[in-house]
Amino acid sequence: MRDFGKVFVLLLVLLLTLAACVDQPAEEPTEAPAPAEPTEEPAEEPAEEPAEEPTEEPVEEPTEEPAEEPTEEPAEEPTEEATEEAAEEPAAEGEPILIGGIHPLTGALAGDGIQMDNAIQMAIAEINEAGGVLGGRQFEYLSSDSTGSAEVGQTEAERLIQEGAAALICCFQSAVTANVAAIAEREQVPLVIDVAVADAILQQGYTYTFRLQPNATVMGVRGADFLQAIAEATGAEINTIAYFYDGTTGFGDSVRQAFATRAAELGWEIVDEVGYDPFGVTDLTTEMTRVNGLAPDIVVVTGYYNDGLLVARNAEEVGLDVQAIYGVAQGTYDVPQFVTDAGDLAQCFFDSNYHWDASNAEAQAVRDSFQEQYGEEMRTAAVLAYESMRLVAAAVEEAGSADPVAIRDAISGISYEDHLLPYEGPIEFDEAGETIVAAPVVMQVQDGAIYQVWPPDVAEREPIMPCVSWQE
Amino acid sequence: MSSISLSKTNRRNLLIGAALFVAILWLLANAAAIGPWMERNGVVLRQALVTGLLIGGVYGLVAMGLTLIFGVLDIINFAHGALLTAGMYITFVLYDRYGVDPYVAILVTVPALFAIGVVVQRLIIHPARNAPTHNQLLLTLGLALFIENLLLVIFTGTPRSIRLTYGRGATDLGLLTVDFPLRLAGTTITMNRLAAFLFALLLTGLLYLLLQRTDLGKSIRATAQDKEGARLVGIDIARVNLVTFGLGAACVGAAAALVLPFLAVDPTAGNTFNITAFVIVVLGGMGSIPGALLAGFLVGLTQEMSVVFLPSSTKLIGVFAVFILALMFRPQGLLGRRVD
Repeated sequence: MRDFGKVFVLLLVLLLTLAACVDQPAEEPTEAPAPAEPTEEPAEEPAEEPAEEPTEEPVEEPTEEPAEEPTEEPAEEPTEEATEEAAEEPAAEGEPILIGGIHPLTGALAGDGIQMDNAIQMAIAEINEAGGVLGGRQFEYLSSDSTGSAEVGQTEAERLIQEGAAALICCFQSAVTANVAAIAEREQVPLVIDVAVADAILQQGYTYTFRLQPNATVMGVRGADFLQAIAEATGAEINTIAYFYDGTTGFGDSVRQAFATRAAELGWEIVDEVGYDPFGVTDLTTEMTRVNGLAPDIVVVTGYYNDGLLVARNAEEVGLDVQAIYGVAQGTYDVPQFVTDAGDLAQCFFDSNYHWDASNAEAQAVRDSFQEQYGEEMRTAAVLAYESMRLVAAAVEEAGSADPVAIRDAISGISYEDHLLPYEGPIEFDEAGETIVAAPVVMQVQDGAIYQVWPPDVAEREPIMPCVSWQE
Repeated sequence: MSSISLSKTNRRNLLIGAALFVAILWLLANAAAIGPWMERNGVVLRQALVTGLLIGGVYGLVAMGLTLIFGVLDIINFAHGALLTAGMYITFVLYDRYGVDPYVAILVTVPALFAIGVVVQRLIIHPARNAPTHNQLLLTLGLALFIENLLLVIFTGTPRSIRLTYGRGATDLGLLTVDFPLRLAGTTITMNRLAAFLFALLLTGLLYLLLQRTDLGKSIRATAQDKEGARLVGIDIARVNLVTFGLGAACVGAAAALVLPFLAVDPTAGNTFNITAFVIVVLGGMGSIPGALLAGFLVGLTQEMSVVFLPSSTKLIGVFAVFILALMFRPQGLLGRRVD
């Protein structure tokens, strides 16, 4: 019996170690929201013909051959591995160009991570099928699992670069991304961030990292601007705001600060700020009662899925008297699951968040194609991963070479037009590596589905304000 | 060494004290003397009181299971929160697949968690009973991580929640019709929280009766007081341990079904309750069941009161402040017995 006990202790300690490895650090709300199995059909389909295939990669004539790498070797010394690698890198013309992708393929975020991984594979398959790049060279995908851990992400980045990746696409989580970006910089391999929101990642003076999604500051500032514009368009008047936000991770606070700064410029008074622990909060009724007593015009929310749902439910229970509840980078109100979970009370909830361009027919076609191949509705994060891959392909074509440094130069100067994101104008990067035109869009729940309502050029429906379901 | 139950006078004092405490707070909330401050914050204060009481009942139920296990087995069960999560998923599946009402699901989750508790005790804790305490501690921690990750594999990280179709608007309760959510002096009381509170109290009462009145209860209490003595009078300690762990787990089984109507569940959902439950158990006196209930209310109320008096961010600041203060003056916990 005692031996039995010992064996069990051993076994459990083993399990414990294993489990600890799988344990997930929390990721940013904007990255969190999507449910693994959306229970509803995407509501955004305006009946557009989903026939056209999204394979408009410029199939260039074979003009130049990529034989010029050795001369372009960077002058600085990267680490030994990279140098060794670089030595064997000048790939012969037939050889595929390797692209590394790092996402959480196991653990709590696997649902989204696998989608993003699949999206990159889908993009590569389409590009290859359409004739590849540089006159016939194919892409080959090196898929890698960050397990949601920053340390694992870092070693995986090193491994992928050693194996010859000409560019990296990653990571879904800010903490992982920060580590991978440092490696990319050191090894001089371009990194395209599909999803990761923290401002700080690109404030290190990196020259090899580029971000497709709007960062925390853009989320906050544009969120306020859009709210103002919607109020003007609908004739609603905004003077006071109350803010519910995730007060325990840097994310909620940085978005809130950006929003608050802009709100002050717009002449709004923030009458109450409720910071809460998104992973520990079980009730916000008292806070909601406090806020209701201050009678704000709008309640703004920044956080994750569970707490966003709690805010919605408690607001209705207290009978919160506001003109609208407006999410900023909120992981709840733009997710179809919210409509399922909250039912009628979901009506009219706003969310200013990153999104694919639902008014773009090609985006619909891509999402249909994804659904067909992988049996899942393609979520925003996966669309961003897909776009990241196509951006890299465009950059390779532009560079006329598969050399990492040349690709990096091409990305930094690129003007990428036919993207699927609701940005005004082509994707171009600033000095820091941020997409200049990156912006959220505002979505609203209307009649049991989620629609883009602002800005007008990507809107599917008119915004409704003032409106909350529990008030006539 | 542990006092699972209370003496009669203690019990009466406790009841009077608790009632007085609540009455004073309520009077305070309505007192005109405090003037304009109260005019602004009176409603919030009353709401905090109501919310704190309601959630405190559930906290108490969860903590009771933990304290029971500690009192009898001397084991700190780190898997308590994970068991709660498991119970929530059982409730969710019953509701989602088979349309079983969560309050009816208690009839399933309680026996299910009892069974899980018995199995855990038999297969994992019992074999390690002679091992050093820290090993047993690690065991339950490992079990927690195992359950958490198992749930992750089965259900993924996607949060799940259920939405009751009743409990809004006019609700016929047989004797009277009540309009939910209840509005009481400006406060909001929803059906699902009220139900959670009432069921929690009811189950606590049942558990207390079981411990006080039945032979099984008596042998559990005897074992908690003195293991050797209990053995000498012919109590089967191993069996008592089995049942106790089962009962402790059954408490979270009930709590799981009660909180699901207002809380979403993901594989880490129980952790919140875990931390709170530890605080409650220590605050109430380790091993003391009435202490757990009392401390449950105290923590619930403190947590909500801090919303009124402190700038928000984390409600737990107030809780830990009270926790530290209380332990400074009563290191054995509010109703714990001093260890000589």
